[in-house]
Amino acid sequence: MSVLRVAPRTAVVLTLASAAALATFTWPFFVPAHPESTARTAEAPLVFLVMLPVLVALTLAELTSGGIDSKALAMLGVLAAVNAALRPLGAGTAGIETVFFLLVLAGRVFGPGFGFLLGSTSLFASALLTAGVGPWLPFQMLCASWIGLGAGLLPARLRGRAETAVLAGYGALAAYGYGLLMNLWFWPFSVGADTQLSYVAGAPVLENLHRLALFTAVTSTFGWDTGRAITTAVAIVLAGPAVLAALRRAARRAAFGAPVAFAAASDRPTELTAGVRRDGAAGAGAHRVQ
Amino acid sequence: MTDAGTTADAGRRPARWSAWWLPRGLHPGAWWLWALGLATAASHTTNPLPLALLVAVAALVVVRRRGDAPWALAFRMYVWLGVVIVAMRVVFRIVFGGGQGEHVLVRLPEIPLPEWAAGIRLFGPVAVEQILGGFYDGLRLATMLICLGAANALANPKRLLKAVPGALYAVGTAVVVALSVAPQLVESVLRVRRARRLRGATGRGVRALRGIALPVLADALDRSLALAAAMDSRGYGRTGAVPAGQRTITGGLVLGGLVGVCAGTYGLLDSAAPGYLGLPMLLAGLAAAVTGMLLAGRRVRRSRYRPDRWLPAELLVAGCGVAAAALTMLAGTVDPQLLYPPVSPLTWPQLTPLMLLAVGVAAAPAWLAPPPPVVRVHRPPVADPPVPVPTTTSPGDRS
Amino acid sequence: MITFDRVTVQYAEGGPPPLRDVTLHIDEGELCLVAGRTGAGKSTLLRAINGLVPHFTGGTLHGAVTVDGRDTRTHPPRDLADVVGVVGQDPLAGFVTDTVEEELAYGMEQLALPPAVMRKRVEETLDLLGIADLRDRPLRTLSGGQQQRVAIGAVLTAHPRVLVLDEPTSALDPTAAEDVLATVTRLVHDLGVTVVLAEHRLERVLQYADRLLYLPGDGHVHDGTPATALTHIDIAPPLIELGRLAGWTPLPLSVRDARRRASDLRHRLAGAEPPPAPVAPDTCPTLTARKIVVRYPGTVAVAGVDLDLRPGEIVALMGRNGSGKSSLLWAVQGSGPRHGGTVAVTGPRGTADPEALRAGQARRYVGLVPQNSGDLLYLETVDAECAQADRETGAADGACRALLDRITPGLPGDRHPRDLSEGQRLALALAVQLTAAPPVVLLDEPTRGLDYHAKRQFSAIVRMLAGDGRAVVVATHDVELVATLADRVIVMAEGETVADGTTAEVMLASPAFAPQVAKVLAPAPWLTVEQVAAAISATRAPA
Repeated sequence: MSVLRVAPRTAVVLTLASAAALATFTWPFFVPAHPESTARTAEAPLVFLVMLPVLVALTLAELTSGGIDSKALAMLGVLAAVNAALRPLGAGTAGIETVFFLLVLAGRVFGPGFGFLLGSTSLFASALLTAGVGPWLPFQMLCASWIGLGAGLLPARLRGRAETAVLAGYGALAAYGYGLLMNLWFWPFSVGADTQLSYVAGAPVLENLHRLALFTAVTSTFGWDTGRAITTAVAIVLAGPAVLAALRRAARRAAFGAPVAFAAASDRPTELTAGVRRDGAAGAGAHRVQ
Repeated sequence: MTDAGTTADAGRRPARWSAWWLPRGLHPGAWWLWALGLATAASHTTNPLPLALLVAVAALVVVRRRGDAPWALAFRMYVWLGVVIVAMRVVFRIVFGGGQGEHVLVRLPEIPLPEWAAGIRLFGPVAVEQILGGFYDGLRLATMLICLGAANALANPKRLLKAVPGALYAVGTAVVVALSVAPQLVESVLRVRRARRLRGATGRGVRALRGIALPVLADALDRSLALAAAMDSRGYGRTGAVPAGQRTITGGLVLGGLVGVCAGTYGLLDSAAPGYLGLPMLLAGLAAAVTGMLLAGRRVRRSRYRPDRWLPAELLVAGCGVAAAALTMLAGTVDPQLLYPPVSPLTWPQLTPLMLLAVGVAAAPAWLAPPPPVVRVHRPPVADPPVPVPTTTSPGDRS
Repeated sequence: MITFDRVTVQYAEGGPPPLRDVTLHIDEGELCLVAGRTGAGKSTLLRAINGLVPHFTGGTLHGAVTVDGRDTRTHPPRDLADVVGVVGQDPLAGFVTDTVEEELAYGMEQLALPPAVMRKRVEETLDLLGIADLRDRPLRTLSGGQQQRVAIGAVLTAHPRVLVLDEPTSALDPTAAEDVLATVTRLVHDLGVTVVLAEHRLERVLQYADRLLYLPGDGHVHDGTPATALTHIDIAPPLIELGRLAGWTPLPLSVRDARRRASDLRHRLAGAEPPPAPVAPDTCPTLTARKIVVRYPGTVAVAGVDLDLRPGEIVALMGRNGSGKSSLLWAVQGSGPRHGGTVAVTGPRGTADPEALRAGQARRYVGLVPQNSGDLLYLETVDAECAQADRETGAADGACRALLDRITPGLPGDRHPRDLSEGQRLALALAVQLTAAPPVVLLDEPTRGLDYHAKRQFSAIVRMLAGDGRAVVVATHDVELVATLADRVIVMAEGETVADGTTAEVMLASPAFAPQVAKVLAPAPWLTVEQVAAAISATRAPA
């Protein structure tokens, strides 16, 4: 089920913006080493710092440009609040990154568009609550959004154990991917130039990857990411089915896109059931709630 | 936090000024522009003297002009983060630096790593230049971070949300909802956690997550439905009709702009690409896409209650930030050597009058910005006012 | 103002239509009370007024609903926002923003009113509802009554001509409920707003209502003036029941009305005596608490309270919000903080202090059902909750289900606990706690949100528990419930016990705690309609 319809134009915007945004993470692999372009190399990170927030805003605006149903909006706000509120709890009790846990499950239930929005709103709300607004925020938002989007794109047919297994696997992968991308973003800023762990402009991609891997190992973020991946997967295995059921129940109760119909007053109310079917089919097209 | 000094000063100002300087919350955008200006200034120098002064300026303005809201306490966290960054840079240079530099302080035993680690060698000689370079670099990044921390502490994030453009209105509303629901959920997490003991459950970890998260989640989801009904009943989602032609134009602008952004990014990273494909293309693409987005946002019909306006004080504060950045850049063109003091040969960092002027301008909002709003006396959140007789409201009940 | 023309509502998920062929007309300025049991279709009726049914809920609406000339078929709720203001049960759940002032402005922002108009209306509304001193406060720190008044103010700023309130007091304690209902009646009189109000505390608003719409639950709506419509309603406050018993027509709508007509009834009852208070059982107390102290930063919640509970005793714990009732219960159970004093409970394995035991053992001594009984439940079905309760207490399979069937027979096992009614959910939580077979059962505000019918069922359950030899404590604000249920009443204020005695002693001593029947028949010591009925049949029998 998809709470938020992603129109073809939106999909194209999403793809283009994601492609451009990916470059803002991976630029250290591609910056040229030619001396004549050193000026460009120096300005690239700053340009990207300015560009990414705009790209994130563009995609969010595009996703909601068709108008978003109040039920989906309230669900989005409340789930983002759950993410923001459970975050300290998760860190306190078990070192669980609850954000991914709920993001993956909600993306799965409510569809890719909703998942994308939830990723961004969750991290944005969390940042506002903890006064953590800064240039890193759009990057975190985008990564989380990709995770939510991906969860919504998993094969729809799966149910039961297979679904839990796939979601747990995806959750673990997503946790690694998030860690890797954020490391990649942080890498040039944290070590600076001139160390053996710094990126080398113009060097082959593999060499830079090697250095990134070393940086990750040295800053022990790899261990952190592993812990996060394991707890996310375990949480999805243990609590996933119950949370999925709760989310699906909420979706059912909210009656997203339930047919809305009007009919003339029936003179014989006892025969309503037959009338409903007929009128429902006829009226749904005319008066459907957006 | 009230500011006795400034309120007293305000009394001596001419009458038409005094209205500006009444205690009030400044437009959050003004604080962000000021802070970004400071951060830009910091990014244009590695000279520790102006950097330290900029940190001091940020701290001064925060202390004098922050309110009593929870986010106002964030500044300290950013200062510690800055210290960590400087320390990290220096430690990285010591461990992985490779020991360039003439003035070797100490020779640590070298530890060559195996082949798979790209032949990296740990420790080795530690040179002053190396440490100093790390320190300068780290201090620059830390200063930028602390400037952002100042913006986080000074600007009211909720008012910032009110200023989002129409196209982002839905997302902005979702975040507003999240911000108001999150504290309630924290309370319900505590409540459910306490209630779990009543059923004999003391489990921790992932198992506890289920027992706590599910009642909280179910509560929250039920609440979202009530909220949606309330929003619908109160007029959420009233939009103006958009002509098909305009929709095509906005869509074309956004799509075309994004293609431009992609091309520009490619041009920026590929040195073989012609120059115009780089930054100019990227900026043009961004501008087109943003224009499209803003045009699309015009279909959202709503007004804003007590919007933050750009009054002279706002312009002044933002201007101070911009001026500080501009003056530092100017200093850079005049005296690049002094803004980027070389580590070899070792030289003492120096200040120039331009740098001092930039720092002075950056500090001006500590006095020029209106003081934060006066704290109202809040009654403690004890539930109801004590009413001794529960049944007196209906007059007929008095017998 | 509001017209229902042969309206029938059918939801998409099937089931009998909650409204069936309803035709009614509500005039401008009327206060129209909607009554009926939980699930009788009150909410559907109210939500049809501004088009939430069917635009929001889905389903089919036959016939037409018109408000101020606008047809809900062509006007979705958002286009009726300037005509109809809707206030729900839980004010906090409906708030979009987080401070009072912003919330008042939200609806006007959606209507795109000019800033100057908004500013003026916010100030007016703050004064109208007497919440001007709350304007900067975060909404969640307000009391329930204040929150509901803000919710009313937030819809009033759009200057609606109709105000629809769906059980605005069901989540509030009586003091806050008074507060809100007083506000509503004032609005009707001062502003001439048309008000449609669903409410289960009929006794509070009956005297102000112009109309009573009664929904018996079969989809029809009975329409009439309160005094006539009330004669055949199965949910009625004690005052109405007393009036029916005495054969007064029209029925009295306020204590004052009843008292003026009650002289003959008082005369008839002159010789009779209410049954004597049950003699306190002379057994050893099951629970003995001494000098309980609970402190929170800045306040002392419980200041050295003693508590003795005997087997088979029903004790009501009363007092205003913040008087320390909940803190005392939690401290006695051992799960809440306790900073002083001793507790000894005679349980299955001798006498122990629950706080010193592990949580799994403590519940075998004292069972507590918290105010929000849903907090205890986290599984997907009733059966799963019961099975889990058996597992965690080591009881035989089916023990919890058997208890549940004894309390409320026939609860479907595959139902989601969240889909149960308030009363059913309370019964389930109670059954879960009783599976551990505690000799002492504590209930914190159990009757909040229950209608008359569910309260009656609840009273029966509590009596059954006491009949099994358990000591039961009910913390509540509900005077009428206490009058019919409790053997003993303890009144707390500022963390101390200010009164402790039999129900009759405590409740007749002050007007604050007197039930309606006592107010009508004072100074004679009658507490409940049942007592009066028994006395009347007794006086009749010899004659």
